[in-house]
Amino acid sequence: MIRTFLFMVLWWINSAFGAVEINAYNTRLDIAPDGSATASVSLILAKGEPGRFRLPVGFAGLEAFAVQDVPSGVVLTPRPSLDQSSVEIDLPIDVSDDVVLAFTFKIPKLLFAPIPEEGQKSTLPDGSRLLRHNFVNTQAATIMKYQVQVRLPDETMVHMIREQLPKTKRKEFAPRVELDRFEGRQGALLQLANLKQGDRTSMELEVVGDRRSYGWLIAGLVLILGYLVSFRDLVNTDGR
Amino acid sequence: MRYLGFPLGIALFLLILYLPPGAGLSSAAQAGTACFALALVWWVTEPFPTYVTSLVLMFLLLVTRVATDKTIMYVLGMDVIWLNLLAFILSSMLVKVRLAKRMAFWLILKFGKKASWALLAFLLLHMILAPLIPATAARAVMTLPLIIVVAAIYGATEETNNNFGRNLLLLNLCCISVLSSMTMTGSAANLIAVGLIQTMADQRVYYMDWVKVGTPLAVVTMFIMWIVGQKLLFRIPKQQQTPQLEGGLEVVETQYRELGPLTRDEKKAIAIFSLVLTLWMTDIFHMRWFGVEISAPFAALLGAVIVLLPRYGVLQWSEAEIPWHLLIFSAGAYAGGLALDDTGAAAWGVKALFGSIDLKGVPFGVTYTVIIAVMMYSHLLTTSKTVRTIIMLPIIITLAKALGWNPLSLALPAALCIDWVVGLPISGKPNVILFSTNQYSVADNFKYGMVTCTVGVLLLVAFALTWFPWIGLTPDFWALAP
Repeated sequence: MIRTFLFMVLWWINSAFGAVEINAYNTRLDIAPDGSATASVSLILAKGEPGRFRLPVGFAGLEAFAVQDVPSGVVLTPRPSLDQSSVEIDLPIDVSDDVVLAFTFKIPKLLFAPIPEEGQKSTLPDGSRLLRHNFVNTQAATIMKYQVQVRLPDETMVHMIREQLPKTKRKEFAPRVELDRFEGRQGALLQLANLKQGDRTSMELEVVGDRRSYGWLIAGLVLILGYLVSFRDLVNTDGR
Repeated sequence: MRYLGFPLGIALFLLILYLPPGAGLSSAAQAGTACFALALVWWVTEPFPTYVTSLVLMFLLLVTRVATDKTIMYVLGMDVIWLNLLAFILSSMLVKVRLAKRMAFWLILKFGKKASWALLAFLLLHMILAPLIPATAARAVMTLPLIIVVAAIYGATEETNNNFGRNLLLLNLCCISVLSSMTMTGSAANLIAVGLIQTMADQRVYYMDWVKVGTPLAVVTMFIMWIVGQKLLFRIPKQQQTPQLEGGLEVVETQYRELGPLTRDEKKAIAIFSLVLTLWMTDIFHMRWFGVEISAPFAALLGAVIVLLPRYGVLQWSEAEIPWHLLIFSAGAYAGGLALDDTGAAAWGVKALFGSIDLKGVPFGVTYTVIIAVMMYSHLLTTSKTVRTIIMLPIIITLAKALGWNPLSLALPAALCIDWVVGLPISGKPNVILFSTNQYSVADNFKYGMVTCTVGVLLLVAFALTWFPWIGLTPDFWALAP
């Protein structure tokens, strides 16, 4: 009897929240030179209904969680986890139709150099670091537009996009991950529309310093000189 | 130029590599562009044989971390390389059984009293083949044996190149690609463009809408190139105007008669080639007939299996003349091209081209000319027609809407340029196959291809001044946005 009652309550909460839509879910990641990052999240909800739901954030840590902008009565509670942390959002009975929420938190090692296991070869050269982001929409509401903007530390740039999922569909014209410069800083933008419950998206960026080694310059100049000397017979008309 | 090509290539490589990073350009894309630029300079100036440059390019792509070793090595297994290899097996069969010689003699006796008529015969042949066989690589493979023998009759071989050979090969190259734009089914990329116009601009393009604009453009361009090629670009001297066989046409006629009736091996070769050809022409029915689509390389592979069958076949492996050095060239070139696509360098370049031009408030004709020119020449940046279509068409449609023009008036003429991938030996699959004959250089290809593209742009502008407004496709050339 109690079980049935609890099930009914949970079903009611879930179905009550099922009416809510997440119009936009934007995360901005400002990465510091040491690899830590500040995530600024802004969320636009439509058809607000009273209830509670857990919003996944797509990162492990949720340090220094701070609410920036919420309507009165709305309560945000951080729920850190070792793989995918989330934020519990309580919407009051008198919630308005459109709700805008904003919060920030810190991610300790967003940019990291993977250490190979003993006996394994390193897959990255010195100076390269990785940024990984995996997001699974674990709650019921569809996310109409999901965006993650990455702003890299100064004097760094993306070497390559190692992963960008899901693949772009036939009717999508923008790439899943687009590189750009944001307020003078190199970065990337991950974007996806219509994330239903269970849908996932991910990206992996390899980040390097924006200055290249002078080794190429020296090797190139040596090769040029060597060639010009060794192959000068190609233009030498003496003896012809 | 050969002497300076080496340092020039390295200097360009270093210049691009050390440029400040552009917004949205990854470090791998920048390095990939630098490697490709070096290879391009070396292919054109030839300080080394082209295949050595390709090997250098493959190594550079690895050490600059533009691509992984697996990605680079994979290109040797690409469909275009397989098709190239199988084409040479089929071609060797036609040469060995003397069917290619018979067909070439017939062609020359009918049309080849003068070199220019022989060239014209190929142009007409491609006009018939283009709507029947959409796969451009298949058309290149089909005509390759005939091209090689006709070129040889006019004195052009792999060892001794001449201007007739250059004209013949490059005219065929351009015909194969350009004539694909006659119909909207001419290539898969054309159909993607039609789909984009329909979904993004909400306008349907019917088969005849495309034919009305695409066919005159492609056909007129190729007739102009038939003349320009032999009169201006690669002038055919008088001695190359007639077959280079001692005794002239009489000898051709005598040799043709001496071939006698079709031999058993020739009949076998006809049967095998017809089977491959039938599979190429009926690819849209394969799924219904066999439950699987037999792609162009696999149709050729089936042909090669029969050709090489002991006792029943007509060729032994040792008799197949496969130019491995040119397959290596193609593999390296494709590795470079793919690196540009995969790292996003090609897309970045195309977007940068449009982003740097401000088209607000200018007459329609100016916008139209800029878009056509960018679309036409952008094929030098990427080896994939599909990639180019998917990047460019949405930009053009969005731009047209923002400027207040009917999207169709810019998108359809731009779509007509998709198939014109004629500037470099790696710009398209037929280019790779025909370059394998070693009858022309990268510089020859670039010169002929660029002139073809320029003729195309000029004709499109001329059409926008006359034909297109008349059929209601474009507004007045000098009209200002509403």
